[in-house]
Formats: sequence, structure tokens, C-alpha cells
Amino acid sequence: MLVAAFALAHTPQLIARPATEDRDLVLRVHAAFARVKRRLAELTPDVLAVVAGDHVEAFFLSGVPALAVYAGREAAGTFGRYRYRYPIHEPLARAVVEQGIERGFDLLYTQDAPLDYAFFVPLHFAMPEPAVPIVPLHVNVYLPPQPTPRRCYDWGRALGDILAARPERVALVASGGMSHYPGTERYASPDFEWDRHTLDRLREGRGRELASLTGEELDKAGNVELRTWITLLGAVGDARADVYCYEPSWHHGNAVVEWRL
Amino acid sequence: MSQHYRFPPASAYALNRCLFLLKSDDAFRDRYVADPDGATAAMGLAAEEAAALRSADRDALVARGAHPYLVFMAALRLTMARGGADIEYF
Repeated sequence: MLVAAFALAHTPQLIARPATEDRDLVLRVHAAFARVKRRLAELTPDVLAVVAGDHVEAFFLSGVPALAVYAGREAAGTFGRYRYRYPIHEPLARAVVEQGIERGFDLLYTQDAPLDYAFFVPLHFAMPEPAVPIVPLHVNVYLPPQPTPRRCYDWGRALGDILAARPERVALVASGGMSHYPGTERYASPDFEWDRHTLDRLREGRGRELASLTGEELDKAGNVELRTWITLLGAVGDARADVYCYEPSWHHGNAVVEWRL
Repeated sequence: MSQHYRFPPASAYALNRCLFLLKSDDAFRDRYVADPDGATAAMGLAAEEAAALRSADRDALVARGAHPYLVFMAALRLTMARGGADIEYF
């Protein structure tokens, strides 16, 4: 069953802060992450299913899946000085692959692809104690052509159905967002207005409207990563968002959100 | 068509592979820091690509088909490797 749903920013400056970043802002986002960690402790999930977009780390020149599931014994990666490794909840990962394919989603699965920091940053701050196993779910956000928002929403809806029928208590975590343009000429001018408008819609339980966005609209708004949220929205339906924080930095709209199920 | 992130053209394979290794492969990054010309020559980069990489010319790299995110993170990891950034880790 699905017991919790959250979205967390994962910008690397939250974990490795150069002098360019406002320390107080970073600490405010950390406080929101700590709130998620406390909520997860209350909700006692058996497993965290994490939807994130690989940052051209595991999937690039040798293969670019639209949707993928990590289904090995564990998932591991590195980012700078960080070395991380998480056990995978193999029965759930396998059920997601098998039933996802049965439902018409042509998923890639992997038993040894590296785990990108997009998975690591939320887990570093919000994994409850004692830690629980994870199921990493990749959505291609950075390498065109990406899956359409509609496809992400539909996959999320199927994922929600699969999780609902499982015996485990599953917390769904979407990693990424909001507006930012890494590596482009717009890096220093994110679209905060777009973010705030979108958060208003999510507070009102209108998440299904995001399925009607186009890929071009997400790209224009610096929100290619919102595909991970849209996947989550397919699973949580019309639940209302509780926005823990929205902290716009000079290059990134940092949001932490819970959907009350 | 997307404005910011584009399909990586096959013509930019060597360049994107080099940027990927600068981002994610500690040994290659160290080699590049020690000997940029040797490292880029071994990767088969064109002279213009190697020059754009050396001068961190984002626009030139992207114009040749480099993925913007790779340009961004390769540059950040090079800065970190050269000890040029004062970083607080959490």
C-alpha cells in the first residue's frame, strides 16, 4: 500500500555548498528535509520508492531508457567525496517491473547501473532511522526525446495501482525540481513565477492538470525534472499538496512538498 | 523543440564522452588536470573542441553538440578537483 508521498529538491549545492550559495537558505531547506524525515518515521514505511531523473550518469551513450527500475540487490554511486550504497527491496522492484510491463510500460531494468546523486541527496537528508530499503525508479528528464508528461502521469497511475495492491507500506518520493537551467544561458534566471503558480495548483489538488503540459513547456520553464513529480501525481491522484518550503536561490527553485494521502 | 536540452548529435560523441568522463571518472579527470592536451587527444577531440574545453567556452561547446548539463557538471568537478572551490559538506 502507498502510505506517503513527497517531493524533494536535490540540487547538489544543498549537500556541497560553495560560497556562492546562501547558507541560511540551504539550512532552511535542510529543516524541511528534516520534517520529511520525521514524517517518514511516523508513517513507518517498509520501503521508499524514489522517482528521480538520472543526470547523464548511469544512462547516456550506451543506452537512454525513458523509464527504468533498479532491480538488483543494491544500488550504489558516488558524488564528489560521497560514497553511497542502498539495499534494494527486490520483491517490490521485481513486482513493479513485471506488472509495469504487463500493463504496457516497456521498462528497462538494471542490476548494476550506478545510482545518480538525484537519488542520493533526498535519501541523505530524509531516510528514516533505522533505514529501509529502496526501489529507485528512473525517468529520463535530461536527454531528449524525454517521455511526455502524459506518459509520466499514466506510468505513475499504473505504479500507484501496483503499489496499492502490495503488502509493503511504501513511501513514494519524487526527487528534483523546481525551476533551474543547469549549463544554459538562463542559469541565473529561473522561472519562479511558474513554480509558484504550479505549487498553487498542487495545493488545490489539481495535480492531474500537469499531465496536460507539453515537454516544450517544461523545458521553457526550467522544469524538465518535474516529470518525476508528474509521475508521483499519477499515483496520488487529486490529493492536496502541503508545501513545506519553497526557497528560490539565485539559480534554483527549491521545494519540499508532502501530499496527504 | 526544446530550447535548453537537445538530442545529443552523433557528431558530438567524442566530445560528450570526454565531458562525461570529466564529470564522473576520477582517473580521467586527474589525467586531464595534469595534461589537458594529451587527455583530449586520446579522446579524439577536434582541436576546436579541445580549445573550447580548455577555455570553458560553454557556448562553443554547446554549439558543437555538447550536452549543457555535462558542460556544467564537468566544469564544477574540475573546479573541485583543482581545489578552487571552498565547499561546506553536509
